[in-house]
Amino acid sequence: MPSWPEKRIYIGSHTRRIDAPAKVTGAAKYASDVQPEGWLYGMILRSKWAKAKITKINLDKALKVPGIKAAVLAREGERTVRYYGEELAAVAGATKQACLDALRAIEVEAAELPFVVREAEAMGDSAPRVWEDSPNAAPPHVNEKGDVDKAFAECATVVEGSFSTPVQIHHPLETHGNTVSWAADGITCWASTQGITSVAEGLADNLSVPQSQIRVLSEFMGGGFGSKFGPGVEGGLAARLSQQAKAPVKLMLTRFDQSLAVGNRPSSFQKIRLGATADGVLHAFDLESYGTAGIGAGGSTAGGGGGAGFPAPYIYQVPNIRVKQSSVAVNAGSARAFRAPGHPPASFGMESIMDELAVKLGMDPVELRLKNDPSEIRQKEYRLAAERFGWKEKYKTPGSSPGPVKTGVGCAGATWGGGGRGTQAEAQINPDGSIEIRCGTQDLGTGTKTLIALIGADLLGLKPEQILVRIGDTRFPPSGGSGGSTTAASVSPAIHNVCTRALQELQKQTGVAGARRENWMAACKKLGINPLVVHGEWQEGLSSSGAGGVQFAEVGVDTDTGFVKVRKITCVQDGGLIVSQLTAESQVNGGILMGIGYALYEERIMDLQTGFVLNPNFETYKLAGLADAPDIDLVLLDMPERGVIGIGEPVTIPTAGAIANAVANAIGVRVGSLPITPQKVLAALGMDTLTTA
Amino acid sequence: MKPFQYATALSPAGARELAGDDGAYLAGGNDLLALMKESIVEPKVLVNIKSLPGLNKIEPGRKVWVFGAGVTVAELEDHEGVKKIFPGLQQAAAEVGSRQIRNVATLGGNLAQHSRCWYYRHRDILCLKRGGDTCYARHGENKYHSLFTGNTCISPVVSNLSVALTALEATVLVQRGDEQKRMALKELYARAWDNPTAHNSLEPGDLILAVEIPVRGTSSAYLQASEKSAFDWALVSCAAAGRIENAKITRARIVLGAVSPVPYEVAAANDSLEGKSLDAETAARAADLVLARAHAQAHNGYKIPIARALIQRSLLQLKAQS
Repeated sequence: MPSWPEKRIYIGSHTRRIDAPAKVTGAAKYASDVQPEGWLYGMILRSKWAKAKITKINLDKALKVPGIKAAVLAREGERTVRYYGEELAAVAGATKQACLDALRAIEVEAAELPFVVREAEAMGDSAPRVWEDSPNAAPPHVNEKGDVDKAFAECATVVEGSFSTPVQIHHPLETHGNTVSWAADGITCWASTQGITSVAEGLADNLSVPQSQIRVLSEFMGGGFGSKFGPGVEGGLAARLSQQAKAPVKLMLTRFDQSLAVGNRPSSFQKIRLGATADGVLHAFDLESYGTAGIGAGGSTAGGGGGAGFPAPYIYQVPNIRVKQSSVAVNAGSARAFRAPGHPPASFGMESIMDELAVKLGMDPVELRLKNDPSEIRQKEYRLAAERFGWKEKYKTPGSSPGPVKTGVGCAGATWGGGGRGTQAEAQINPDGSIEIRCGTQDLGTGTKTLIALIGADLLGLKPEQILVRIGDTRFPPSGGSGGSTTAASVSPAIHNVCTRALQELQKQTGVAGARRENWMAACKKLGINPLVVHGEWQEGLSSSGAGGVQFAEVGVDTDTGFVKVRKITCVQDGGLIVSQLTAESQVNGGILMGIGYALYEERIMDLQTGFVLNPNFETYKLAGLADAPDIDLVLLDMPERGVIGIGEPVTIPTAGAIANAVANAIGVRVGSLPITPQKVLAALGMDTLTTA
Repeated sequence: MKPFQYATALSPAGARELAGDDGAYLAGGNDLLALMKESIVEPKVLVNIKSLPGLNKIEPGRKVWVFGAGVTVAELEDHEGVKKIFPGLQQAAAEVGSRQIRNVATLGGNLAQHSRCWYYRHRDILCLKRGGDTCYARHGENKYHSLFTGNTCISPVVSNLSVALTALEATVLVQRGDEQKRMALKELYARAWDNPTAHNSLEPGDLILAVEIPVRGTSSAYLQASEKSAFDWALVSCAAAGRIENAKITRARIVLGAVSPVPYEVAAANDSLEGKSLDAETAARAADLVLARAHAQAHNGYKIPIARALIQRSLLQLKAQS
């Protein structure tokens, strides 16, 4: 069984990203930056109706706009569009302005149809159907264990509550899109993607072209959060435009497009009842929930997951449970997997009701968790985090903080599977001592390239900057999609393996024993003319799955204005062997900031009258900014014995639950609905309808 | 975006002539570019006014300060004299957008900006304000909308500076036709009160040249409540000003923003403070009077308690300054 080196110089270090200079100087080329010779802009015409029968689309006038080289339909023939923003057609032209003019010149004949954009309304019998042949509300998934009704009767304390979470949009800073060149020798696609292989597969399928004819490149990309696994409708359109125009086409979505059609986190409306024995042992749990994944979870680039269900009762073990969850279709863009699909809403609802229970039991919320959380690691994390956070001193009776700006604290826990396997890699050692590691993975921005360099450096006795890391090319040995926090655990063992083998082979071929460090150059020189190329693959024993993590939040709530400020987050997170301390910390910071956005600001707002997304921009779809960032105290539990475990997802799960609990602790009443806006805080305080009389 | 011509003006009269009836003035361009990109406005000519003499000057004076309309919001924010003499204006400037926006946004542009209503700004919605026949916000999503209006449109004025400048009794110098006209801040927005398509009282071709603020030895303060800590619009903003002597206030002004199509004030509320000492009781009484006619929509009732809190806090800030 292979193992990680006992003595680690770069693995686990705070070494900066190897591509930091390229990124900060703009030398790094993203899909949005590449400019192959003769490239054209591509743009998409989208449905202006929440639902309509499209009888005819005429592209003739668009094709006559000066500068326009191609125009294609998203689909031939009559069709029904089911949400505002669904793709109708696309054009390619020499300038953005030509494309904009061409989009306006396209004639669309459509008959508007009734639509529904709100979950509760969509569930009604008389609501317009999103899909004509099935009701909007799917039959619920039911999970029952034990005798719930009897168990509730046995409980000393029962609490209940209603909780809701909004549709959240991924909004990676680099929008979705591709630059595609369809030439005689095949198709090249520069993709902003989490899965170069799945983009190749998707394009081959979409265009009926052998996959061998397709090369996908993604050396740098600006985030995906689960929404960028395939080429998307936009990728297929770019390819067809390129074929027609006989020129490369760059089709990157706008922020507006991004808000409509390329994924989101489903909403949730949860009714929870939780019962415990007098000493606080959970005994009965009942949850009924629904949520929407838009017209349906999935779509061509769903990347799995993305449904409206979620794990319940989340991280806790309750002997008697009844869970009923259903998904409701509305006329809005499809959900896709979104950073820890299902978990943030699960954590928010469950951790909220846990705090309600603690209050009713007169028990400290941390004690209640220690009593009921089956994870030993998380128990350790709760103790450590409580100590660092100063929980015992800070936790007070709900609402007892003096006003008008009241202080409150709360906590929540998370779990994530992760794992990951199957990556292959190759190393090429050149006689001049230079070395290149090639792997068909991609770097979401999480630091995969750096991780490869740090592992290579320790195993070969080199410095990270001596190792040229090449990724993001389907011509390299395959890795797999970067999702589910699996990249680090899938890639790291393959790099370990290829470096180990390369060193062995180098020593064997050159007769230099111990070719690491100071002997490296001499050994390489002995290779003669041909470089040494060695293949490696993922091995058992170097990585595993299962990460916990807890977060504690301290907030200030202005009870006159309803404004919530997150002052501090303490996070204790386990992630096995930490390969790159710096980028792991960045993951945690980013996860917490995203969690703050989910807790306080983010929400897709659908207009009832038009069926449009009302906030398709960063002005009114609000993301956490620097000024909203709290003091973050972060501990990564290094557990090298467990091997590498990804942490990208667990770190965003408990933030909203912890913040919601802190708000409830501050003001003494609960805001059960995310995002927790001033409007909702004031409503919870009974002040929203105040008139002046 | 439609094609347009571009010209640079060297005098106010020249700018007016170049703009014609279908032109737009370009200074910071923040709002203009966004409006053009969404085809909300389609000017035939953009007149660059950045070279107009004196437009980017702040001229302190014993009786009156004159601010060129091209002064950036960042310059207002950073100006030591402004901070000292008109702290409310400085605070209002500091809350505009982000620093990057403030670096290019101008005083004139901030005052003349259009509504931020998400129906008005939506590319595929033709609302009342854009010449359609429905105010969608009335029956739709109106959490950011007005508590007071004299017409059917409920989109509020969002210019921070307009709120502070109204409290400071400022005057705007406008090039109208061949003439230069002085308008009180109140006058600058009056038309928006009862005309749903108006953002202010400016007529096509009107150009704001300067803002004049009288020096009256007043204290002033500006506060806003937003959803985020920074780089966010006000849910409610409030400016207060007044002269405080021997712990009594005279010539008090309380002005609310983001709750009405105009910077909103109530004379009776201002009068109620005359000669009083500022304390929780007088401040609460004034807030009652300001909010007496508030009419909440389905989703914006929460703005009333926020407004009340900001009125009280800004008045108490005045007291603290004196």
